[in-house]
Amino acid sequence: MKSSLIILFFLLFIDAFGQNSFDEQFRLAEELYQQENFFDAITEAKRLLFFDESGNYNYDAYNLIAQSYKQGAKFSDAIRYFTLAEINARNKDELCKARTDIIRVNILRRTTNRALKLLDSLQADKRFADKKDEITYWRGWAYIFADEWEKASLEFAKVDSAKELAVLTKQVDEELYSVTMAKTLSYIIPGAGQFYTGEYLSGLLSLGWNVLWGYITIKAIVDERIFDAVMVSNFLWLRFYRGNLQNAENFAKEKNLVISNKALHYLQNEFSGLKP
Amino acid sequence: MKALIIILLLVVSTAVKPQDKTFNFNSPQNIRKFADFLFCDKDYLRSAIEYQRIHGTPGDDTLRFKIALCFSRIKNYLDAIDNFSKVNQTSAYYNESTLEILKTNFLMDNYYGVRKYYLNEFVNINTKYRNEGKKLFNFSYLFTEDPLPEMNDFLIPFDENEQGQISSFYNWKKDPPYKSSLLAGIMSAVIPGSGKIYVGEVGDGIVAFLVTGVFAFLAYDNFQANHTTRAWIFTAAAALFYGGNVYGSVAAAQVHNVKIDFEYEENLKRYLEKHNYYTPNYGFCDEE
Repeated sequence: MKSSLIILFFLLFIDAFGQNSFDEQFRLAEELYQQENFFDAITEAKRLLFFDESGNYNYDAYNLIAQSYKQGAKFSDAIRYFTLAEINARNKDELCKARTDIIRVNILRRTTNRALKLLDSLQADKRFADKKDEITYWRGWAYIFADEWEKASLEFAKVDSAKELAVLTKQVDEELYSVTMAKTLSYIIPGAGQFYTGEYLSGLLSLGWNVLWGYITIKAIVDERIFDAVMVSNFLWLRFYRGNLQNAENFAKEKNLVISNKALHYLQNEFSGLKP
Repeated sequence: MKALIIILLLVVSTAVKPQDKTFNFNSPQNIRKFADFLFCDKDYLRSAIEYQRIHGTPGDDTLRFKIALCFSRIKNYLDAIDNFSKVNQTSAYYNESTLEILKTNFLMDNYYGVRKYYLNEFVNINTKYRNEGKKLFNFSYLFTEDPLPEMNDFLIPFDENEQGQISSFYNWKKDPPYKSSLLAGIMSAVIPGSGKIYVGEVGDGIVAFLVTGVFAFLAYDNFQANHTTRAWIFTAAAALFYGGNVYGSVAAAQVHNVKIDFEYEENLKRYLEKHNYYTPNYGFCDEE
């Protein structure tokens, strides 16, 4: 009698802790996510959440839905579900993870100010004092996506495990052209800013036009035809001079975009560390 | 001892199994519940997929209609029309489906489709929403270049409180405040800048007149003074401003007309959206 009771109890215990339909449903959603079938993963996780009255799966299912939306570049939906995951977090680690995920999505969609604000609040929270390196790491990434490579480099330098990123971002920062320098050079000598960015032909053309209109203006002054000089300088020379400044600025920005994109391309495809 | 074991068994079996472990997520009933939830959560594509899984369940004539609504709301208009047109005549939503077909044609900017469907089918089969259908039919004329019906006939289906607004749409369509691009060009060719003033760009017109005039004068003056290089530069500048001004006046009139058309269509669409294209509230969700 005693042994049969023990066996019965054992069977019941195993059965009770065995996989139930809700576990299976969550596993199905996870499998679909692993197969990169994000649409169906979201459907199945939503189905689980809809029928699950216990709330046991809330954090995991919301997190899975959010990750799926993120993979599909539906960033606003991703943030909505990460926020729900945050609300349903069962412990400090889950809370930190959900908040970090929200920050990562903000970094990806380039809402940098929001990302930095959230990082500040995470840093100010004493519960996450041990996550200092992680917070600094994501701050570095936020600066990368905001095109502030120097600040990114300074942040990564504070984290031991991010030395590779510190070097890379510093290198990119050194490669970038100074937009102010390009404009200032063109202020002083028309075309010089274009030369600085490597656009020699454009620089020569700019210089040529400005010399021509400058000469005609001065010639008019010498001929004592001041009104002619004013009209030529205002409508022709000044236009070409301003165009030269704008041109130099645009070239510097375009070149910087190429450099930034090249670095981001490398980070996306070659960098093996943690990315937003 | 026995009692203790029984209590233990009871506790384990109740505490560890808070939910039915063999819950069937995919029973038709549960699929329906989930689809309704998705519909009200505005997740229409998933909702349509779920409804399609159980479509054909006997006794449920709203599924096809809801599937069509889902497609309409995700702007998959062809599938929406296909499903609306398959709603059974015995369905409680049959009249609504025919009205929704008119609406969907409107959303597709298929105004001839609206009229064709209204005349060939809607008037013969819809018994409940004839007035609403007629309103949409009349509205379709405000979006095309076809001759408008007489004002009195046009206003018949509309309520008194609507007639003021509809009349203003009608009058606008009949006599839109366009500007002639040809006239604008000719005016600027005769007096630089006057075409721009005619189009309503007064500041641009005055500037164009002054700049062209000053350059022309400078060209003349430099030729008189034998400063031929500067004279030719000013001639070129005057010609450039003159030509640019004529072209700019023609373009400004065209832009003005496009802007007028755009604003008119936007106002019409906003008005129709405000009235939900004269379709009823089905009350499928609380907030609807």
